[in-house]
Amino acid sequence: MLTSELNELLTRTGPDTAMGQLFRRYWLPALLAEELPEPDSPPVRVKLLSERLIAFRDSHGRYGLMDEFCAHRGASLWFGRVAEGGLRCAYHGWKYDVTGQCVEVPSEPDNSSFCSNVKLRSYPLVRVGDILWAYLGEPENQPPLPEFEFVHVPAEQTFTSKRWQESNWLQALEGGIDSSHVSWLHSGQLKTDPLFKGAKGNQYNLSDFKPFFEVAESPGGLFVGARRNAEDGHYYWRITPWVMPSFTVVPPRGDHPVHGHFWVPIDDENCWVYTFDYHPVRALTAQERQAMMDGFGVHSENIPGTYRPVQNKDNDYLMDRATQRSGENFSGVRGIAIQDASLQESMGPIVDRSKERLVPADSGIIKARQKLRRAAVALRDHGTPPPGTEPEHQRVRSAAVVLPRHESFIESCRDAVSVRPGVRQSSV
Amino acid sequence: MRPVLLNSCARAATAAEARFRIDAPIVPSRGARVFALDGPAEEIVRRIAARPWATARFFGHAGDGRVRPLVGVSTVDISAELDGADVAVLVATSPDGARAAAAVGEHCRARGTMTAGLVVDGGAGALDAVAMLRPYARVLLLTGDEDDIAAVLTALRA
Repeated sequence: MLTSELNELLTRTGPDTAMGQLFRRYWLPALLAEELPEPDSPPVRVKLLSERLIAFRDSHGRYGLMDEFCAHRGASLWFGRVAEGGLRCAYHGWKYDVTGQCVEVPSEPDNSSFCSNVKLRSYPLVRVGDILWAYLGEPENQPPLPEFEFVHVPAEQTFTSKRWQESNWLQALEGGIDSSHVSWLHSGQLKTDPLFKGAKGNQYNLSDFKPFFEVAESPGGLFVGARRNAEDGHYYWRITPWVMPSFTVVPPRGDHPVHGHFWVPIDDENCWVYTFDYHPVRALTAQERQAMMDGFGVHSENIPGTYRPVQNKDNDYLMDRATQRSGENFSGVRGIAIQDASLQESMGPIVDRSKERLVPADSGIIKARQKLRRAAVALRDHGTPPPGTEPEHQRVRSAAVVLPRHESFIESCRDAVSVRPGVRQSSV
Repeated sequence: MRPVLLNSCARAATAAEARFRIDAPIVPSRGARVFALDGPAEEIVRRIAARPWATARFFGHAGDGRVRPLVGVSTVDISAELDGADVAVLVATSPDGARAAAAVGEHCRARGTMTAGLVVDGGAGALDAVAMLRPYARVLLLTGDEDDIAAVLTALRA
């Protein structure tokens, strides 16, 4: 349970909010690189942290992210033309470069310096891996570029997709921290999904529906360990890292690629879910990549030409009671991503946490909220930089291991939960 | 039958439709019992117990695996104190409270009472305290922030 005031604090991410200021201390996924594939690509509307922006790539291949609306009359620059090193408004031809600087106002005399005083607010936009990352904070607070492993392995080892989720970012993130739903909501997929099935660890999941949980702090967030019974004298541990503010990695299964998510607020009632799969030491196979594109694993099948899932709230997520009855899909909704989205969106655009009835198994969520609250308040009141911006905070892995019962996952898995280039993930 | 009303399909997940959710008060937890297992843990629990709580009851340690109310010296019957409890919260800073942890933990196991262990990381003994609590606590939180105990109790409506 949270008070209404705390719920407001944690869920609102606009420019004048405490959590909005927190998010503005991080590099955030703003687009997939495929959305601006080449110089002079058509511009793309981007809404991020409740700010309406336009992204484009100029003739030199440079990326720009700036206020969507022309300084002249407020027309959307989405209708503009990208050419000759800038983005020109379709209305009266005002032209901007990637920094938001107006470089031409056609109605002014040839030797006018008028445009030098016109600049749209702009933010840095850089490509790291398959993602274009934006930083919406003050320049003096800009952190180092993202160091997450999935964007630094070779291109053939990684795949990222994106989907629109019609809910506040926090209830989506909390689904990523909450390991206890996996044995229920996703139980059907452990046996059938091409990116999950066959791992020995699945048997531990399916034979122990009452996991124990251990939550430990990390420099950038948390490690949440879910413990299930394994062979005599051993436990099966699934360790999920959360890096502030909204990055999680799902514990791996066998030699399947490792997957995870980044939840990015669009506004207070919508978020983007960036979903990745990568393998630390080998290329993804053609079958794996195709399965990801087809919406298996933690990805979604999207309406062609969009990032909206085919299964969405307008069609009841194509719920199928027959597969619910048979157990093929525990909830009757196909696919792990949409199983999560359907329930998280059903909570309402911003779930009222003052009405919750949490249980101790929700301790990971409780602790994550606590860390977010503390960081947002410390930043607002004292300017304290939040955790999760430093490269070492981001060099974490998930892990799935079998340990003797007396061993602590915190101590025994120090290496397993750290990025080690060229070393396979720790997985069962 | 296909849904025909807005509120009979998933599109009802709007802020406007949220107005029609039943607004009955949420009942508090039936009861949390909070056990401090060692001296420093008891100091922390005393500070937390001073806040307003719905039904939570707080206990200190008396040595020899016995527990007592925070105020008073006579020990209590752990089993009787767990009557009507939803959860037992075990608070430790070191493995010194192993006997009390075992005593409370075994009672909880026998009664089917949920257990949560909160280890406040005050130093080298924290991981040993985690190991001590692991057999008894279904949920374990290792934290450097004693306010997490209050956060957990608040979230549980204690």
